[in-house]
Amino acid sequence: MVTVDGSRGYRVFQAVNAVVLAAVVIVTLYPFVNVIARSLSDEAAIRSGQVNLIPRGFTLTTYEYVISDPTFWTNYRNTVVYTVVATMIAMFMTTCYAYVLSKRHLKGRRFLIGIAVFTMFFSGGIIPNYVLITSLGMKDSIWAIVLPNAISVFNLLIMKAFFEALPVELEEAAAIDGMSTYGILLRIVLPLSKAVIATMVLFYAVAFWNSWFAAFLYMSQSDLFPVTVFLRNLIAGATGASSVGADAMNMTVAANIKAVTMVLTILPILGVYPFVQRYFVTGVTLGAVKG
Amino acid sequence: MYQMNRRQAMVAMGTFAVLVGCGSDDSKKQADDLSANREGAMPGYGADTGFKAAAPLSFTVLYNNHPFYPIKNDWLFWSELGKRTNVTFQPSVVPLSDYENKRSLVIGAGDAPLIIPKTYPSQETPFVASGAILPVSDYLNLMPNFAEKVAKWNLQPDLDTLRQSDGRFYLLPGLHQDHWVDYSLAVREDILEELGLEIPGTWEELRTVLKAMKEKYPDSYPLSDRWGTLTPGANLLNIIGISYGAPGGWGYGEGVMWDPGSQKFAFTGAMEQYRQMLEYLRTLVEEKLLDPESFTQSDDQAIQKLVSGKSFVISSNAQTLVNEYRPPLKKANPEARLVKIPLPVGPLGPIKYGAGNTRLENGVMISKKARDSENFVALMQFVDWLWYSDEGQAFAKWGVEGVTHTKDASGKYKLAPDVDFVGLNPKAPKHLQKDFGFSNGVFAYGGSTELLQSTFSEEEIAFQKEMNARKPLPVPPPHPLTDEEREQVTLWQTPLKDHVTQNTLQFILGKRDFSEWGTYVKELEANNMLSFVDMVNGAYERYRKQHG
Repeated sequence: MVTVDGSRGYRVFQAVNAVVLAAVVIVTLYPFVNVIARSLSDEAAIRSGQVNLIPRGFTLTTYEYVISDPTFWTNYRNTVVYTVVATMIAMFMTTCYAYVLSKRHLKGRRFLIGIAVFTMFFSGGIIPNYVLITSLGMKDSIWAIVLPNAISVFNLLIMKAFFEALPVELEEAAAIDGMSTYGILLRIVLPLSKAVIATMVLFYAVAFWNSWFAAFLYMSQSDLFPVTVFLRNLIAGATGASSVGADAMNMTVAANIKAVTMVLTILPILGVYPFVQRYFVTGVTLGAVKG
Repeated sequence: MYQMNRRQAMVAMGTFAVLVGCGSDDSKKQADDLSANREGAMPGYGADTGFKAAAPLSFTVLYNNHPFYPIKNDWLFWSELGKRTNVTFQPSVVPLSDYENKRSLVIGAGDAPLIIPKTYPSQETPFVASGAILPVSDYLNLMPNFAEKVAKWNLQPDLDTLRQSDGRFYLLPGLHQDHWVDYSLAVREDILEELGLEIPGTWEELRTVLKAMKEKYPDSYPLSDRWGTLTPGANLLNIIGISYGAPGGWGYGEGVMWDPGSQKFAFTGAMEQYRQMLEYLRTLVEEKLLDPESFTQSDDQAIQKLVSGKSFVISSNAQTLVNEYRPPLKKANPEARLVKIPLPVGPLGPIKYGAGNTRLENGVMISKKARDSENFVALMQFVDWLWYSDEGQAFAKWGVEGVTHTKDASGKYKLAPDVDFVGLNPKAPKHLQKDFGFSNGVFAYGGSTELLQSTFSEEEIAFQKEMNARKPLPVPPPHPLTDEEREQVTLWQTPLKDHVTQNTLQFILGKRDFSEWGTYVKELEANNMLSFVDMVNGAYERYRKQHG
């Protein structure tokens, strides 16, 4: 019998696979390397198009310049705080909701799933949301960012599927031994769910780290902005077509400053990724296959 | 994709705002009874009195945060303004990148600050029907400086272009004493000298110059343009179109052009003059004088070609010339000299034409809520002083004498030696905008030609002198649409504009032959071009009958 990995077809497949994946890696990595090279280069070199993979006119002054900007650091700190608080709240809410939904004997379960899924397709719209947040007095506070997005329905469904896949006998045994519902959740279910929890934390943390829209809507002081709003303003410039041509003070921010800000912003999340990734793979597939 | 949807949602929001605001108009007050709104106002305020509020006041303002000079709370601008006027601002900070979206949002949600600056003429129109914006034309008697400037500089016809179908206007625009032409082409002067050529004065001369450049440097595209990513050919189609009588690109606007001969509006994209401009550009592309990528490439790509000597001519304004082109060019080629040339002349002869052909700039909307405030009169006086008085404009632009600048006996401004602005003192440790908050696009614009040019370099003043000697075109007459008409026109305008833009490129790049021009015009007619133009002309006739 010819084993699968020994067959000719499989070897061809592997070779093709390797080439395609290598190409994907290059395409994905190139922009990163390019941004890093720009961040270390001289403004004039970037303008004249000399910078590709290797920094030209090597300089660290751009880093010094950005790092010495207090607004950047205030916003950076905001991002960290928003991300940590929002992820904690989101994990708490999502876990509770998903665990409840995973119990098939729950009365009104279909309705509870229904109202969650409903929000994936329909929303109140931006102005009503804005009015709501404003009348709740959450404008210009961290709550405007961390509360409205506390449950992502997509994440909720993954988690629910994961909980459903856990053997129900385990929970029955714990119940017979006298454990309360909360005890079961905290001592039996959650320790068995590290993979999915790590995945969810990663999903939420990345989403909150990258998000700028909620802050843009609900924050009206620059020292409350997360660094993403700072970055977007730096890079996008004016997006409204009408104001581009006529603005007399049409100053642009230097290309290397943009690059440095980008590098500093993606660095932490880039650093976390490889460590959480092994949970991430198991977590998602577990939910997917058995859901 | 995700953000795109959000952006679309934002567009829809403007429409929604109109619906929300409709119900709240019943508590309308008598426009002339201001006795309850005089708290803090300055008694006897006039054009030459300066302004100081009778009591300390604070006004909310929507603040457009520029990434080049991000807002700082310790700016001298804020503290000195408080000292001089007794007024402090409470800024609601919005990133410049999404200013227009946030403006729609807060106005639509009824949460707008009292003062809403940085609004370009016609951007106020979507908010008019909602009743959320104050019809400022009813309160001009509170604004002596504004009235004085309009009378002195004869700006009434320009102002009339802002009128809505009710005959009032809702935006306090920035006022210029003179047309301000800033955008033109930058040309490598050293190459001209090398070839023994003069600076081209007309578009035909420009073609000759480009040809000579191409002959000497066959690998180059002598003209490779920028500013094409959002609006293809934004500057080029505008400046050439103006001199032919049918501007495209940034100058396209609502898509109609006033024809003083027939006293009617005509559709720009179907005009004979528009065709002539396209034919001119077509020949440039055909002879490989104009880079076909000019209409789509990013600004950075265009600048790279210029810097590396693959092109010699590019669109420019005074700032980009100094900030974006010259420094890298100097590094790449110390011999290179780049100059901004006076706008080449076309069939219409030497004319000048600023943005939109009026002398109006972006300006200020006032929230309708302000009318109910007891400080309303003081607010209007304050806006009048800061944005329209000579004193206020000079303060917002130049700052405090002795700290940021000095003034000599003839009234000429000079930056303090330790302060930089637009590269005037490049070695200085402090910056007029970044460290003091002056010359801020939110507060400082417009004004007298003398003030405007006080920050210009010598070569830019020479450019302005040349341009100001030319004759301005007449301002198009007002033709305000009713709400229903505007809704209808918007539905027609978008496909029309898309069709014009698409075919403009096809004609220029030679993908469509000019023998098909008739077919093209027929296609526009199939897209309701005639109904659109008729509606605009109808609105013009109606306004003329009602308001003279």
